[in-house]
Amino acid sequence: MSVPAPHELIRFAKERYHAFTEIAETFVDAEFHFSAKDNLCANGFQARAGSAILEGYVPPFDATPVHRLKTAGGQLVGKTTMDEFGFGTFCVNSAHGIPLNPFDIQRSCGGSSGGAGAAACLIPGHIALGVSTGGSISGPVSFCGVVGLSPTYGRVSRYGLIDYGNSLDKVGLLSRSATLVREHFQTIAGPDPKDPTSCAQPQLPTKGRMPDSLAVPKEALANLDPAVSKGFQEAVGRIQEMGVKVEEISMPSLRYAMPAYYILATSEASTNLARYCGMRFGRREEELNQHFNDFFSGVRSQSFGDEAKRRILLGTFCRMVGFRSRYYLKSLAVRQMLIEEYRKVFEDHQMVLTPTMPFLPPRFEDIRKMTPLEIYGADFLTIPPNLTGMPHVSLPCAYQQGLPVGMQLVSDHWREMDLLEMSSEWEGHFPYRFPEVGP
Amino acid sequence: MDREIIARVAKVARLELTEEEMERYAQDLDDILNSFSILDEAPMCETFTFNPIAVVDVLREDQPGQDIDPKLLRKQMRTYEDYVRGPRLS
Amino acid sequence: MKIGLEMHFQLPTRSKLFCSCPTSAADPNHNICPVCLGYPGSRPSLNRKALEVGLSIARFLDCRIEERVWFSRKTYFYPDLAKNFQITQYESPLGTDGHFDLNGRRIGIWRVHLEEDPGRIKRVGRSGEEVSFVDYNRSGIPLVEIVTAPDMQSPAEARAFIDQLIIELRSLCDLDAQDEQKVRVDANISVGEERVEIKNVQGLRNVERALKFEAARQTKLLAAGKKVILETRRYDEERKVTTSAREKETEEDYGYIGEPDLGEFHIGQMAEELDLKETPLVRARRLMADHGINEVTAKQLVLTSSSLADMFELLCRSVSSEKAVTWTMGPISSNWSALQDHHELWSEVVAAVKADSDGEITDNEAKRRILSLAGVKQETAEAGDADLDHMISDFIDAHPEVLANYRKNVKAANTVIGHVMKESRGRYSSKDVVEEVRKELEKRV
Repeated sequence: MSVPAPHELIRFAKERYHAFTEIAETFVDAEFHFSAKDNLCANGFQARAGSAILEGYVPPFDATPVHRLKTAGGQLVGKTTMDEFGFGTFCVNSAHGIPLNPFDIQRSCGGSSGGAGAAACLIPGHIALGVSTGGSISGPVSFCGVVGLSPTYGRVSRYGLIDYGNSLDKVGLLSRSATLVREHFQTIAGPDPKDPTSCAQPQLPTKGRMPDSLAVPKEALANLDPAVSKGFQEAVGRIQEMGVKVEEISMPSLRYAMPAYYILATSEASTNLARYCGMRFGRREEELNQHFNDFFSGVRSQSFGDEAKRRILLGTFCRMVGFRSRYYLKSLAVRQMLIEEYRKVFEDHQMVLTPTMPFLPPRFEDIRKMTPLEIYGADFLTIPPNLTGMPHVSLPCAYQQGLPVGMQLVSDHWREMDLLEMSSEWEGHFPYRFPEVGP
Repeated sequence: MDREIIARVAKVARLELTEEEMERYAQDLDDILNSFSILDEAPMCETFTFNPIAVVDVLREDQPGQDIDPKLLRKQMRTYEDYVRGPRLS
Repeated sequence: MKIGLEMHFQLPTRSKLFCSCPTSAADPNHNICPVCLGYPGSRPSLNRKALEVGLSIARFLDCRIEERVWFSRKTYFYPDLAKNFQITQYESPLGTDGHFDLNGRRIGIWRVHLEEDPGRIKRVGRSGEEVSFVDYNRSGIPLVEIVTAPDMQSPAEARAFIDQLIIELRSLCDLDAQDEQKVRVDANISVGEERVEIKNVQGLRNVERALKFEAARQTKLLAAGKKVILETRRYDEERKVTTSAREKETEEDYGYIGEPDLGEFHIGQMAEELDLKETPLVRARRLMADHGINEVTAKQLVLTSSSLADMFELLCRSVSSEKAVTWTMGPISSNWSALQDHHELWSEVVAAVKADSDGEITDNEAKRRILSLAGVKQETAEAGDADLDHMISDFIDAHPEVLANYRKNVKAANTVIGHVMKESRGRYSSKDVVEEVRKELEKRV
């Protein structure tokens, strides 16, 4: 059965909520409609990844996940707003507008796939391709009250994804329901010769298994906003009512995850962003008479945003002679250690359960008062599975002050179908609410 | 994170920073790196892996082919006599 | 004097190192794709052949081969570098701690690794204000880098080293025949304590010239009681001098990180299973050891054609090695072009030589049998000699610099010998060619 794209709603999501940076000119009668985060390349749309330096770039190819959804009969209806290159927790670092939270337009959608979160919330039946490096799917999913899957690293091809951190980036899905996520995840998963890291995966099972025991690391419960704590505890009660055990455990290495993540992510990002120098992207013909060092520096300084510069500086520093071993190499070691710690937990439990974000969707005025370090710290619950490449889902688990609270389930590598099984089961026990907005 | 280091980092990264930026980023990076010093407690390991999953021996056969027309790419790069014009070398 | 070399050779693959673009010659920016242009979202994927060839070279140089290797990003900014980082190998080269025997001296090999070539820059405009025109056809071409210990003692030895290495690699892995001109070298040279690096010298001849200039410069400085500064210098091909490179270029911080898009490679088994061809100089050494022949003969045999050396070895099973040398370098070599592809005739050639050696037939009779096997009559063979003279004098006429070089160094004759051997495709014995070339050159000097 074909579902025409609700184009009025899509336009509304773009104009009123800034969920999209660009939408299709015409809407066709397709099997389904989907959007792609603006760092996923697609023929006919600009791919600017939230950055002024990619202004006007229309890639000559489709990213593999985009291609696979198109082949399955979907229409790409638009590109969603994001923090510049994925650098942000609140989607306020974009050169192309700030998406507004459908639950309260004074508040953030979360980042960096903020536009995808808003689109998934505003448009019933919509499936949004998002990308997570350190929590960029879970965060917006939690703040926008939707369902989101960040698959195992290497499960979905990254061909056509404008890189942030190549050892961390994962293409995933956001939607109002786990059923839709599951259906389209099966379409986009699988090896692709154009991305060698996608060629190491075992076959995706057709069906997942319900867990019988979840682990909650006590380290994840410190420093939570009371509203989140309360909502999360309610959810734990419901899960136990479903017949699933929930046990508190300890994962002492979690405290290393945040620094290790930011070091690896920015080290990789600072090399990925080296290519934006005016030769091809951010080109200024009139300045070509400068010496190349001045030309490159000029283009980069004028076109990159504040957070991009900060992360380039941090990443460049962490891999420089004299600091590389203490920061970059140590972070690689920490990632390995953390994977082992997860594995230990997975011997006795099938999943790790935590809240997704430590607070409710913040107001833009409060975000402006936060320091960069405080903002980085807001990702402390989503970073561990992202750093270790573990698949995870975020699901609405409570409503507090009229705003959604999210919980995050993490499983061992390649066990996405178990997460989706649990997500569907949860939907049967906890009805989701969506804001009543429309054109 | 003193001025000298941030200036060196900016130079290596090809970023021209204003005085205000220099000072602000130095302060931010200082805060961030101080909080990262917790890593010093973590044990080091000898063998490094660069991906969270094992990706081993993924190779491509030596078969030439181009699936995007280079003409289209040249057009997008606005080449001059097929060359891409760049900045001065000296 | 101590000289160490870092040499870059293009590997003989049909497609680039990390993408499928062809490596063949083309107009500017025709062999390009999103990968070698560094488009965001494109990903590298390693060429199996490049890895195999790189490993063959590492094994040939007797390197230690680690079980597990990976690639790294070396970040620096230059207009020819599409991504502003080069994918290379840093902590984990394909091979380390190898060696190469150069005329009886052991030259240490520190490492062998793979990396991608940047694009090519054409400089346009007035000196000092040149703009760059970039051609990305070369971007992503596979290179092997071979780094030696500072074990060479003179510019001539450095040249001989590269020369012999090229001969070996050409046979080992079908390296491009042009590599004498195309090899790119960074050379370290120290006459006293401090060493100087000369960057990016192209071609065998330029390497030797740059090193000679630098050796003289350092010797002069030291003799005058001055110090040599540790620095990077460039070789100016036109002025034939080395000049100090700008300081800026030496203080780049590459900030190496692992390349996460390629994964890692467990090369132990692949390296073991490679079937290495016996290279000419290695074979020459074996022929000397096995058959007690001298070095000049051994080299002549293997450098003429590997099949001629096969014939020689076949003969050695039936006759003494002296006899085998005489016949191989004489009548057999003169008729080799007719014989080499007809393996069914080889045993009859052996039979003729054996009959002569056993005293059953005369030398002339044996020679006649060989000629008739080759289907060549005596007369045409003589006419062939006239052809040989022609070929030699034509080449010398067309290349007057050879004569000029020959006046300085008799080794310049090798250029002519090489040309004639290649042109005549083994029609004449190498002994004859060498003699005729010498004769002709001496006549003209």
